[in-house]
Amino acid sequence: MKAFISGGCKNGKSSWAENLAQRLAGDSPLYYIATMIPCDAEDHQRIEKHRLSRAGKGFCTLEQPTRIHQVLDYSDYARGTYLLDSVTALMLNEMYPRNASLPDVQAPHRVCHDLSFLLAQAKNVVLVSDYIYSDTGHYPKYTQDYCKALAQVDRHLARICDTVVEMSAHQPIYYKGGNL
Amino acid sequence: MILIIGGAYQGKLDYARQQFQLSISDILDCTQLTSELCQKPLTAKCIYHYEAYIEQCLLANIEPQTAFSPDQIVIADDIFCGVVPIDSHLRAWRETCGRTLTALAIDAQSVIRIFCGLPLKVK
Repeated sequence: MKAFISGGCKNGKSSWAENLAQRLAGDSPLYYIATMIPCDAEDHQRIEKHRLSRAGKGFCTLEQPTRIHQVLDYSDYARGTYLLDSVTALMLNEMYPRNASLPDVQAPHRVCHDLSFLLAQAKNVVLVSDYIYSDTGHYPKYTQDYCKALAQVDRHLARICDTVVEMSAHQPIYYKGGNL
Repeated sequence: MILIIGGAYQGKLDYARQQFQLSISDILDCTQLTSELCQKPLTAKCIYHYEAYIEQCLLANIEPQTAFSPDQIVIADDIFCGVVPIDSHLRAWRETCGRTLTALAIDAQSVIRIFCGLPLKVK
């Protein structure tokens, strides 16, 4: 089962996705792919807090801020269920590498490739993204390019996943696949 | 008229082209309109970026066209989910877009929302 979940912020995407991943995994390995690159002490504290809260839910944390398919090298992908929350953060890491002055224009293509590979190999994958496309602002090109790149990846994932869900007020709206 | 809405970069035009066999010459891209050009009636089979047309109408101080023939397809970006813009022009644009699209949706035979490339018929 490969599921893609998006929607506006604070609609319950993460908790719904966690719950789905737990149900899909049953007694099999359950992995949380952590993408955050900590910048300061506050980030480290936040990571530790999240790690503790997930540990109680049976998640094993895999740290993989870029080249996401590499988690296959050190986890039981044939039996495993992977939760990636979020595609948005992964795109940031891939598109704006630390110490680089320009965004990496190859990032959306690379992320599509890496995620396709992960989805093809792993038993279950639950992906969470953010629907950041319905604002009024005339954003600078820098921001527009990021939105466009994330949308390209979102559309690719929606095409290849079995289930596509938009969360609204913690209610799933199914665009693809049966009720879960 | 068929109204296709959804956030930016969601694949609304790709969907319309596939679903209604549109050729490039059927499509009017309203991001190319000026405040002079927007005074002409919108007669193309497919009106793309209708929200940009509304912005030009506001600049030209004219009422946007809301009457379309049954075989026309209107595509608009959903620009309504962010914080109320501080800029008064953006605020007026957002309000007029909302009001105008509501009127269009009432007249439309169907309204389709595109989410990450996938359609959902909302009317």
